[in-house]
Amino acid sequence: MVILALLALFAGIACGLSGAGASVLSFLTSHVDIILCLLMFLVGISVGLHRGLLANLRKYHIRIFIIPAGVVAGSLAGGMLCGLVTPFTMGESTAVACGLGWYSLTGVTLGNLAGAQVGSIAFLSNLMREIFSFFCIPILSRRLNSYSCIASAGATSEDTTLPMMIKYTDEETVVLSVINGVICSALVPVLISVCYQIF
Amino acid sequence: MYLIPVMCLGVIIGRWIFPEKYKKLNERLQTICTIILIFCMGVTLGSRDNFLSELKSLGVQSFLFFFIPTALSVILVFVFTRRLMDKHREVKK
Repeated sequence: MVILALLALFAGIACGLSGAGASVLSFLTSHVDIILCLLMFLVGISVGLHRGLLANLRKYHIRIFIIPAGVVAGSLAGGMLCGLVTPFTMGESTAVACGLGWYSLTGVTLGNLAGAQVGSIAFLSNLMREIFSFFCIPILSRRLNSYSCIASAGATSEDTTLPMMIKYTDEETVVLSVINGVICSALVPVLISVCYQIF
Repeated sequence: MYLIPVMCLGVIIGRWIFPEKYKKLNERLQTICTIILIFCMGVTLGSRDNFLSELKSLGVQSFLFFFIPTALSVILVFVFTRRLMDKHREVKK
């Protein structure tokens, strides 16, 4: 799966750079939401097939917030550390890190707030986070625990990285992953503007 | 956010309607959709203006901004969940 995913990524980049089959590619990329929708529907079926899942999830209670809290705290601390080792201000650094993998929103928002350079770094770093998560989920689930896979995915754990979760973890982690993704996605716009203004 | 209701619809169908014998087919379809999504991500990336030059000039800094926050998130979540959530899973097993 990882090799297939890598091949798909590089083939996509090559097609995008060369512009080959532009009309087919533009049709495909403009309908990516439909594919994502279909994928979420299929993942939902997998979750539905797993009996007794909701009863297991109820046992988590308030602990269900541990993962998003860890994701945000870790990213914020990482942003502060980046602020110390790069020429960017603490506000810019923490705002970039608080994109939590949502590269499209973070890139555009910080491009408008802090300029093209910070916007490009926000785009690239959050994109790297999403791609890294794709390929590290199998390793993290084996070496650490399944919750760690959700941590690397950040806000993308509710959509794009979800298929890898279902492949390499279990249905319970997939539902926790969706919950984490919803919470993180809701927090990203707030965190970006708060971090940029406060620090 | 529209993805959540779609997923919930899938959960309902999987719980009450979907035959278990098609579980493997469902997994295969998920893999195909994932590969198409990754391919589209690559196309979007490759067709971005100045993608290669941006990667060359801002690559190292972008890597730092990706790696440090992601690594710290993973470490924190691993430590928290190992102390507070893995026990729940062990009891469940």
